[in-house]
Amino acid sequence: MAWYRQLRNIFRPSRLQNDLQKELAFHVTERADDLREAGMSEPEADRAAHLQFGNLTAQIERTRDMDIPERLEASLRNLRLAVRSLAKAPAFSLTVILTLALGIGANSAVFSAIDAVLLRPLPFPNGDALLLIQQAQLKSSERNVAPVRLEDWNRLNTTLLGISGYYSADTSELSGEMPEKLKCQYVAPRFLQVLGVAPALGRDFTAQEEHNGGPNAILISDRLWRRRFDGTPDVLGKTLRFGQTSYPVIGVMPPSFRFPDGDSDVWFPSAPDYPFALRRELTWFTAIGRLKPGVTLAQARDNLMTVQSNLARQFPKPDAEISPRVELLKESKVGGVRRSLWVLFGSVSLLLLIACTNIAALLMSRSTGRQQEIAVRFSLGASRASVAAQQLAEVFVLALAGAGLGLLAAMGASVVFRSLARELPRIEEIRLNWRIVIYCLVCALATTLLSGLIPAIRSTRRSLSQSLAQAGRSQVSGRHPLQLALVAAQVAFAVTLLGGAGLLLRSFQELGRVNPGFDPQHVLTLHISTSWAETGDPKAGKQRMDRILEGLASLPGVESTASSAFLPGVPNEYQLDIQTDRGRAESEPKVHAYARFASPSYFATMHMPLLAGEICREGSAQAPLIVNRMFANLYLNGTDAIGHTLTVQGNAYVPSGQIQGIVGDAREAGLDRDPQPTVYWCGTSFQPGTNFLVRTHGDPAALTEAVRRKLHELEPMRSVYDITPLTDHISDAYAENRLRTILLACFAVTAVSLACVGLYGTLSYLVNLRRREVALRLALGALRGQVVRQFLGVGLRTAAAGSAAGLVLAAVFARLLSGMLFGVSATDGATAAGVLAIVLTVSGAASLIPAVRAARVEPMQALREE
Amino acid sequence: MGEKKNDILQGTLVLLILRTLASGKRMHGYAITARIHEVSEELLRVEEGSLYPALHRMEQEGWIKAEWGKTEKKREARFYSLTALGRKRLQQEEESWRRLTEGVARVIRYA
Repeated sequence: MAWYRQLRNIFRPSRLQNDLQKELAFHVTERADDLREAGMSEPEADRAAHLQFGNLTAQIERTRDMDIPERLEASLRNLRLAVRSLAKAPAFSLTVILTLALGIGANSAVFSAIDAVLLRPLPFPNGDALLLIQQAQLKSSERNVAPVRLEDWNRLNTTLLGISGYYSADTSELSGEMPEKLKCQYVAPRFLQVLGVAPALGRDFTAQEEHNGGPNAILISDRLWRRRFDGTPDVLGKTLRFGQTSYPVIGVMPPSFRFPDGDSDVWFPSAPDYPFALRRELTWFTAIGRLKPGVTLAQARDNLMTVQSNLARQFPKPDAEISPRVELLKESKVGGVRRSLWVLFGSVSLLLLIACTNIAALLMSRSTGRQQEIAVRFSLGASRASVAAQQLAEVFVLALAGAGLGLLAAMGASVVFRSLARELPRIEEIRLNWRIVIYCLVCALATTLLSGLIPAIRSTRRSLSQSLAQAGRSQVSGRHPLQLALVAAQVAFAVTLLGGAGLLLRSFQELGRVNPGFDPQHVLTLHISTSWAETGDPKAGKQRMDRILEGLASLPGVESTASSAFLPGVPNEYQLDIQTDRGRAESEPKVHAYARFASPSYFATMHMPLLAGEICREGSAQAPLIVNRMFANLYLNGTDAIGHTLTVQGNAYVPSGQIQGIVGDAREAGLDRDPQPTVYWCGTSFQPGTNFLVRTHGDPAALTEAVRRKLHELEPMRSVYDITPLTDHISDAYAENRLRTILLACFAVTAVSLACVGLYGTLSYLVNLRRREVALRLALGALRGQVVRQFLGVGLRTAAAGSAAGLVLAAVFARLLSGMLFGVSATDGATAAGVLAIVLTVSGAASLIPAVRAARVEPMQALREE
Repeated sequence: MGEKKNDILQGTLVLLILRTLASGKRMHGYAITARIHEVSEELLRVEEGSLYPALHRMEQEGWIKAEWGKTEKKREARFYSLTALGRKRLQQEEESWRRLTEGVARVIRYA
């Protein structure tokens, strides 16, 4: 490996020096030995040997030169030269470094997100083999898996190492002074085996613990261990209390273990053989599985399909209607943001391209100024390659500096991403690592070539005689179409980005302007901890709920209170197939509706108007139902709907009921979606995840403390958490939307600024170059206005050409964005017109300054300079 | 250094070193000089000033390889040996030397 030795020699010169000294000194000693053997005295022999060898230092140097190859040394020399010549032009260097820092920084920042979210496997051993397994049902959007079926699938399949599952509940831990809400996960057997993670301390659940009647046991998170047990190892065997029961801690998970999310603090075993877990229609697990080595996703899917069709023969009801849905766990987590992230990445790449183009134009201006220097170097015998290499070396030095600064920017990326989009999946995994550093270096190299190659080739193309002849300064400079073309390209890319950003901003605006059909302002939402076990006594739960709701409503400043299973306006997909008691022809579409579960006070609290009938009269034989106008019109002839009975088959959770009222349509399932046919089940069941809604007269956040105090008084054994205005929840639900809109807008503004700087710089340079020509014309009687118009014209024509090309690119970009737009079409004329107006105005301003400067030339002074 | 020694013609040093190492034994720089001196019956003397640059350049070319070792007198020395590439190079060098001497001989004879 000759190159390896050479590199080592370059980087470890002292070692090379030592070796050489040793080798040559040995030679002298051997010679002295021989001379002594031939009869010389010792000092005489030494002297003769040294004499014969000559100057040791000089010999070492000559030999060393052989060990450091010339090519590498030339590169180093180029870099040294580059640094020196750049130091002499600090303004130029700083401009380029900052431009590149911006370009590379933004690019690396987005790449760090893509790397963490999309490219890296999930943080489990062989995380790409993990699957999400759901059950698809014909008549329901229920995706959870029944515990019995999970066990069946696990036992009967041949393609998976194992299937497990979990469900979550927030529960109060009661061993401390105050109840503390902890996010708990109830996990099916084999949970940790499937994930491939072992506790950092202690052990996994035993088979007894995973089955009904076995000993109690919990695993806790690293952060809970540190917070509650000071991170001491004797935590094993200590207990936490939930409800009436104490649970001994049997293990502590490693800090990196965040499954299913980073908030989870306690994992309980959930026995699949509890008596109530044995009903095949009761479903609650989110199931996960792990592929056997060498098995593909498709094979696993087919295999589970076969298993399920066998089960369907054995248990026709309900298994005949159920089929497994298998996808990669990673895909299920990040699939939704893939497009957003790639769009952002494309945008920052365009930004970097603009930066490169900008620098290319700057370099060309600079190299024209250095024509003399280049000519001299040619005349001294430098080869074209070496002159070009020297110029590239300059760019590379700048790019490295820019990449260094850009890396700092990328380090801050995770902070920005976290503040803009808390809900982005895997966001906590975004951090700086060696891949980002390498990516930055690659960026530096690519920008060097992209921005440096053309100027380097062009500036060295002229033959020697031509350059020297051109050095005459009185000549009128030729046209500079390439430089202007580069500026036009920048404008084009800027228009592309601005067009995309404009569409997203308009969507965002439209989303804010939409009338949701309910009033999200002045509503405080909160959760109160409870457990699924408590839902066993629905009567007590209802009493408790009523007491809480009334208690909160009695607070001053509170208008009304309600509870609901889902938050209005936050995207949610709970849909059911419903049977009506009105006969429907086979040809008619199925009755399909969004299902919501809310207290009777919900409609008043959310300011949803009652259009007909009455709100949830309780005490009737059937559960009271409310439908929205769309449901009534679509399926039941409008107001006739009242009094009809609706049933849901095959779903043990949703009772049948009678329609008592019709309310206005609301965008319950997400602000960006049109209202859907919706059925509201009125009721006040108290279960984990229930949202409490408090309508206030003033700022909802101001009531936080009062609400908390009141609830502590009413329910001292429960914890209250997530006290947040409804508007925050809604805006969090659109975090990804907001992230891409804000980032793209920032990129677009940067791009336009860069393009304007490019336009300004190039035009200033042209003006400078043509000073004498302008002076001459002015001296011959040209009007200053004509001069201004001429240069302004050059600038505007360039910008217009760029914009025209940019609009075409923007149309392509808009097509990529089409799925992310709301209330605005991808070919929105107003947006395009706005973008054009902005870009042309700004580029006009950028051209005006150099144009005016050109007209201010004092003819006599400029001409006398010659 | 009174007596006049025969300096080695530029370019032939590589050939001499390759040939000397072709015996297969690894040798240090001093041994190579001594060997050339001895085999040429003291006609040829290798200048230290050319020997070590040549050795290091040949090492970079990959014709010879070097490693540290102990001499019989237990001194640390850098030993050189021929590589496969060097063996090939030796053939080329010998061939071109043969042609050079043949050419020179003809010129001396007939010119």
